[in-house]
Amino acid sequence: MLIVAGPSGACAHDGGRLHPEQQGRIFSVMDGVRDLNLDDEIEFVTTPKAEVQDLARVHSTKYLTELEAFCNEGGGDLDPDTYARSDSFGAARRAAGAGLEAIAALERRGDGVAFVPVRPPGHHAERDRAMGFCLLNNVAVSAASLTAKGHRVLIVDWDVHHGNGTQAIFWDDPNVLYVSTHQWPLFPGSGRAEEVGGSDALGLTVNIPLPPGATGDVVRCALDEVAQPVIDRFAPDWVLVSCGFDAHRADPLGELALSTGDFADLARLARAYAPRPGRLALFLEGGYNAGALRTSVAATFGALLDQPNDAEARTSGGSGREAVETTRRARDLAIDTLGLASLAAGGQW
Amino acid sequence: MSAVTSIAVGYDGSPDSKSALRWAANLAAQCHARLMALHAVGLLGHARLATKATPHRDEAVRIAMDAGLEEVAFRWMEVDGNPCSALLRLADPATPVDLLVVGSRGGGQHGGSLLGSTSLELVEHAGVPVVVVPALAV
Repeated sequence: MLIVAGPSGACAHDGGRLHPEQQGRIFSVMDGVRDLNLDDEIEFVTTPKAEVQDLARVHSTKYLTELEAFCNEGGGDLDPDTYARSDSFGAARRAAGAGLEAIAALERRGDGVAFVPVRPPGHHAERDRAMGFCLLNNVAVSAASLTAKGHRVLIVDWDVHHGNGTQAIFWDDPNVLYVSTHQWPLFPGSGRAEEVGGSDALGLTVNIPLPPGATGDVVRCALDEVAQPVIDRFAPDWVLVSCGFDAHRADPLGELALSTGDFADLARLARAYAPRPGRLALFLEGGYNAGALRTSVAATFGALLDQPNDAEARTSGGSGREAVETTRRARDLAIDTLGLASLAAGGQW
Repeated sequence: MSAVTSIAVGYDGSPDSKSALRWAANLAAQCHARLMALHAVGLLGHARLATKATPHRDEAVRIAMDAGLEEVAFRWMEVDGNPCSALLRLADPATPVDLLVVGSRGGGQHGGSLLGSTSLELVEHAGVPVVVVPALAV
């Protein structure tokens, strides 16, 4: 069963025809969902706006107040990438609320997988700052709602860009494990392997920076060899995915070289990280090539629902294999240097 | 207080950032300090989808030279990221920058709002002194 939690109508947040983060992305994504022909195996849930108290778990009230006021005054450009319009705060609250509704639907059902196809995306939004097309951090709002109930949450982020906002929000949170594969160097400039988490959560940030041209085999290898041991020890109750599709080789905003078949593989890995059915939700982040977005969505959810589909072949042989070992060594050294090597070996989480 | 030997200035080609660069270059020349002009490349800039013109290194060099700085003391840097985050990374204690200089309003900011203000965020979070230069000050 696929639970889809997203706005039912068009999202008004609009930066103009030339901005790549536009409503057409959702049309492509939903075409990909329809391509699966799920009939009775799909449930659409309504998505109310997230309440301020839900948002305030991860954003400061000062930021929320300023963002709302900025939008009410007509909005404008927040930085060279990021815009807000008069209706953007409402759209962002609805996007964050969709994640909460997806979690609630999974809890009600006790099985299935949830997809949260929303915009604006979220993983660049920090506690006090909009950036990288993102206003509110959707995946973080949902993760924080789960940790507030005592759950341990794994966030896997395979967007081509590092999720600086998510990392910063949970930097010191021992109940959230953040794992990111991303192109580096690239916007936002964070996500080095040496960034391993704060003193209360040392080792619970796992960054796997990859060079341009890295293929799916490198990403799989990195997750297996670097992330899997940490995930096993962390033993998450829930798995949330910052599911960007801009690591696809056709995407105009990145230079990784993944195929739709690679996304299908990544989805199967994410499902394996979850402790049981009904504990996996995927949040749309980036993805700016309409065709790749549609086919990547179909491949991803086709794989999660064990449907045969005509995904592109997995990719291999690209650059970056050496980056996996480099990443592992850099992480170990960073944790050692911070004087808590015993944590890496002994498990004090 | 130790001498200022290394200055970083945010530069995006906006009028305020040109004033900031001019002011910083003048100070660097007086102090015999090195000056680093930093241009943050965003998501759209990286993909060459930015609607605003990309600031040009040559123009920055010319402004700095006109302000009295020798070219050997000037360095141009393009880094990935949000302008504020990129400048804050430079102001990290491990980085030998003694002073950050920015214009009061960058090119991407909406007039009249404090939200997204690089200068305010820098003042709040930077580990080194920050100078905010108004557009018409220099």
